[in-house]
Amino acid sequence: MTTRPVLLELRGLGKSFGALAAVDRIDLAIAEGEFFTIVGPSGSGKTTLLRMLAGMEQPTAGDIVLRGLRINDVPANRRPTCMVFQSLALFPHRTVGENIEFALKIKGVAPATRKIRALELMRLLRLPEDYYPKSVTKCSGGERQRVALARALAYDPEILFFDEPLSAIDYKLRKTLEKELKDIHRETGKTFVYITHSLEEAMVMSDRIGVMRAGVMVQVGTPNEIYTAPRDRFVSEFIGDVNIMPVRRVEGGRLRSDAFATDFTAPRMPEGFAAGHLVVRPESLRFVTRDGEAENVLAGRLYNEYALGSRIQYQVRVGAPEGAHVFIVEKLRQQAYAGALDDEVRIGWDGRDSILVGD
Amino acid sequence: MARANWRGGLIWGWTLAVVTFMYLPALCLFLASLTSSRYFIFPITKWGLAWWDKTFASLEIHALFRTSILTAAVVTAIAVVIAFFGALAFARYDWRGRSIYQKIVLLPIFFPQSVLGLALLLWFNALGLQLSWQTAAFAHLVWIIPVVTLVISIQVYSFDPALEEAAFDLGASRFQVFREVTLPVLLPGVFSGALFAFLLSWGNFPLSLFTTGADTTIPEYLYAKMVAGYTPGVPVLGTVSTAGAAILLLGGYALIVLWRRRRET
Amino acid sequence: MGSLGLRHALPLLLFLLLGFAAPLLAVIGYSVMPERTFGLWQAPTLENYVNVFTSTSWISFLTSLTFAGLTVVILAFACYPIAFGLARTFGRWAPFLTLLFTIPLFVSENVRMYGWVLFFIKNGLMLGTLKSLFGFEIESWLFTRGMILLGMVYVYLPFMLFPMTLGIAMVPKETRDAAYDLGASRFQVFREVDLPLSMPGIVIGLLLSFVLAVGAIAEAKVLGGQRAIPITHDIEIAFTYSQNWPLGAALSVLLMLVVGVLVVGVLRRFDLDAILGRR
Repeated sequence: MTTRPVLLELRGLGKSFGALAAVDRIDLAIAEGEFFTIVGPSGSGKTTLLRMLAGMEQPTAGDIVLRGLRINDVPANRRPTCMVFQSLALFPHRTVGENIEFALKIKGVAPATRKIRALELMRLLRLPEDYYPKSVTKCSGGERQRVALARALAYDPEILFFDEPLSAIDYKLRKTLEKELKDIHRETGKTFVYITHSLEEAMVMSDRIGVMRAGVMVQVGTPNEIYTAPRDRFVSEFIGDVNIMPVRRVEGGRLRSDAFATDFTAPRMPEGFAAGHLVVRPESLRFVTRDGEAENVLAGRLYNEYALGSRIQYQVRVGAPEGAHVFIVEKLRQQAYAGALDDEVRIGWDGRDSILVGD
Repeated sequence: MARANWRGGLIWGWTLAVVTFMYLPALCLFLASLTSSRYFIFPITKWGLAWWDKTFASLEIHALFRTSILTAAVVTAIAVVIAFFGALAFARYDWRGRSIYQKIVLLPIFFPQSVLGLALLLWFNALGLQLSWQTAAFAHLVWIIPVVTLVISIQVYSFDPALEEAAFDLGASRFQVFREVTLPVLLPGVFSGALFAFLLSWGNFPLSLFTTGADTTIPEYLYAKMVAGYTPGVPVLGTVSTAGAAILLLGGYALIVLWRRRRET
Repeated sequence: MGSLGLRHALPLLLFLLLGFAAPLLAVIGYSVMPERTFGLWQAPTLENYVNVFTSTSWISFLTSLTFAGLTVVILAFACYPIAFGLARTFGRWAPFLTLLFTIPLFVSENVRMYGWVLFFIKNGLMLGTLKSLFGFEIESWLFTRGMILLGMVYVYLPFMLFPMTLGIAMVPKETRDAAYDLGASRFQVFREVDLPLSMPGIVIGLLLSFVLAVGAIAEAKVLGGQRAIPITHDIEIAFTYSQNWPLGAALSVLLMLVVGVLVVGVLRRFDLDAILGRR
């Protein structure tokens, strides 16, 4: 990724509403052809950031630089970028074809040429040709997605922005469209900048991910880096279920957990680490009695189990019934734990699966 | 279920009774207009269209129609333009004074029209204006612009602002956004607004009464005639007014329904 | 964004300044002019207000308020079932029925009242039918106070009905279902869920029909035969017959005061976006 030239650069880009900094001086470089996803919870400033990049909000600090040219003051209709909106914003009074051709019509392209281009895009997005004269209000959710994407592609933008376009779509279709979008990215070779609140969605599609929180870009990295080396507790928890224990550093490079009155091993200790949280992913935990010994072990009681399709999660409670510490263990279905609820179990993990983060 | 049906039947029955109540006067006017005797006596013994012929032959009535239509047309044209932008400010944009603005718009609607007519009369007098159909049109606008603003606002509320942003983002200029997206999407609302403006001006009496001066609109003429005593011309014109409003409104409604249907193919 | 909204609002606001605020100021101006003058540039005086309270005008005031109050009460009960039907049970018939209730709004009210005269008059639709079918004759009910009330109920019905319908349509169906499911009776659902949640629309309907009914004038003239004198009649007389504009203006100011306090007091509590259905 890094070998490609930089296309879009954010230099100290910020936006404040009065005293509140919605976006707090972000520096970022996005490469040509990259699929970059910004994730964050609602209110993290990701939509404001995207709208600044698309030219629909004015930044109050910093610069947006496209191919070395500052484009802060270029209005949205002159920027070589295009947005797919959360509501899709398809023109309800226009047909599928007219929607896709909108940008070409504005540019003054002849009707016949427009239609050829529109049909090309419809083929690319697997929209049947006979949808051309169909009203967009008659299209299904997935079809509307494709029309919106085709309409943006017809503008032939250097960068395509996506504002959570899949958030209102049901789970199964969303999973299909996520993969389709990645295929379109490959097919067109365009730069995609996508925002979503779902890190899971980001993982599927992105080359790189930027995690935002309270206006700050907390961490930027490949999906693998974000997953295996989250920078802080917020990023580690954002991916889904995690087991977190407060720990502090003690003599001999070991970690002391006061809650369990035990020491844990941790080979990947960050420099200068004194106290913080130990994070263990559910799939890194195992049932020691059955799966074999581990470096760190805790004894508890099996409280409940949850079937998640190909995987099964177990809730194990460690400690006295009141104030017990809850652990989530995840196994593939083939390695299901064959026991009863309330069994005494021992769970464990190895030091290489420990992730240490600050607060 | 049986109880719900029983209650539903009661609601339907009551509604239809009230609809009948609403149209009973129109029916009376219609029947009276079909009498050819000097006075209305029911059951009608002398049926005939004599009064229709006489009314429509009258030059005075022609002048009344001209004044009423001219006033209504001018009111419609001005009201729709001002109210269209007023409705965007009412329902589309978030701005600081919006909440107060919305209430200011409502004030003239929540105001006794006869008093408003008098107030305008005093105002025109203070300005030294000659009263005519133009001053009446101005008076109508004070009440009709807010009504039309509300009518269009209801359409604007269901307008997705992202449509405008999307068009702008796709390279359209501000004017192109307005012409290609904002106006066409809101057109049904504008159309209903125009219909309301025309009909409300056409049927208005309390505002016209004080502000037309030498010009006379149809409602004013009817009022003068009915206060002075019975003229069979009154039922004829009354029937024409009611039927005209019904045809315009039902026709307009049918047009909007067709429009939607065509759009959805 | 801020200036954009204001820019769109500006033509309308300017128009209302010229066509609404300025005339009201003119009325106030005239109300403090000496009796029977027609200009605005004399030394102000309060004698017109004194005259209002020493004359019989306060009776007209009470008459107007009473009739308006009665009208609103009758309308509230008459309209609720219809509004409920329009918002919930009429389904695809609702738009058409709404249209039927709208059409009369566009026919001038004195014409429609004249239809009632033809209905109730001697040898009219009602008495004529009774006479020819059953052979009995009764006194015409025309020109009574009851007739005035009927006329007002008739004219202001849509102004109660439509806001009420909007109000009832605001009540989410699920909340009613939830109340039933939790064991509430039909009446309890009405009292605990429907009524409080549709209150904004109902209050707007009450307010609108009351305000318009206070300003009613033609009903008493056409149907009531001056059996009751509303305040608007006194105002009109002052302006026409007795040519005492300042007195008429003073009466108008008092009426505007009643209406204004009511309207501003109620409206400021409401979020119009919610009532009109902003997404």
